[in-house]
Amino acid sequence: MAKPVEAGSAFAFDEARPKAVPDSTTRPAGDGPPSIGDQPNWQSLGFGAIYEEHSRQIFYLALRFLGDPTQAEDATHDVFLKAYRKLGEFRGDSAMRTWLYRITINHCKNLLQTWHQRHMVNNADDSLWETAVASSESPLRVLEIKELGQRIQKTLDVLPEEYRLLLLLVADQQMSYEEIATLTEQSADAVRGKLHRARKAFVAQFQKFT
Amino acid sequence: MDPKTAKLQQQQKEETVEQTGQHQAAREFASVEEMLREDAAQTEVPPALARRVADSIAREPKPPRSWWQRWFARR
Repeated sequence: MAKPVEAGSAFAFDEARPKAVPDSTTRPAGDGPPSIGDQPNWQSLGFGAIYEEHSRQIFYLALRFLGDPTQAEDATHDVFLKAYRKLGEFRGDSAMRTWLYRITINHCKNLLQTWHQRHMVNNADDSLWETAVASSESPLRVLEIKELGQRIQKTLDVLPEEYRLLLLLVADQQMSYEEIATLTEQSADAVRGKLHRARKAFVAQFQKFT
Repeated sequence: MDPKTAKLQQQQKEETVEQTGQHQAAREFASVEEMLREDAAQTEVPPALARRVADSIAREPKPPRSWWQRWFARR
């Protein structure tokens, strides 16, 4: 089920996507910053390569799961820092991607929990989504590819947290149902069933934002 | 050519151009996963993030090596 990560595609920003902001707070003064490769520990243990290979998917999961570009950036930073600290615990019995996803999911869930506690927000009753019915006519059609990110985020924001997570994980072609099941601590059959309902709920909601 | 026919032909041509334009702009996805993959491919990791992570890691002590790193080191 593994598929190589796409690389080097053209990027288009919209409001739902983060803008690249130079990080002046971490940049040393002088003629110019040293290259990342010069940083001690970055290339040791091949961590630079790990970041290169997985940062896009980790950032994307955090972005769409949290729905906030700044929080997603901070979360991705924290995830890779945690991964670095725990590299010695990585036993290699799962793929590096799966291991990083686990750290990301735990981190993002903690953030959401803290945020929800602070704001006293509850997700809509999950049972409402069980009966979601989508029109079959061009359900996933977008007129402008530019609007795609915004509409996806709006749609994911109103879905139950579990549906959101399952959809984001299954969209990664490197992830099998079994790996997703292990990550989300349920059986592969349960994942399949919930994904079926999650897709229906997504499509029904997506159409509302036309 | 009959002016009525010419007008009709012109109208049909304009409609076709209009429809073609719509088809070029619109994009349909076969599944939710396909749509999310497209979205992921278009989402850029903030370029400053790599440096931020590298800087944070530079301040960290070297972590203990995992069993597979120790195993490779012995070979």
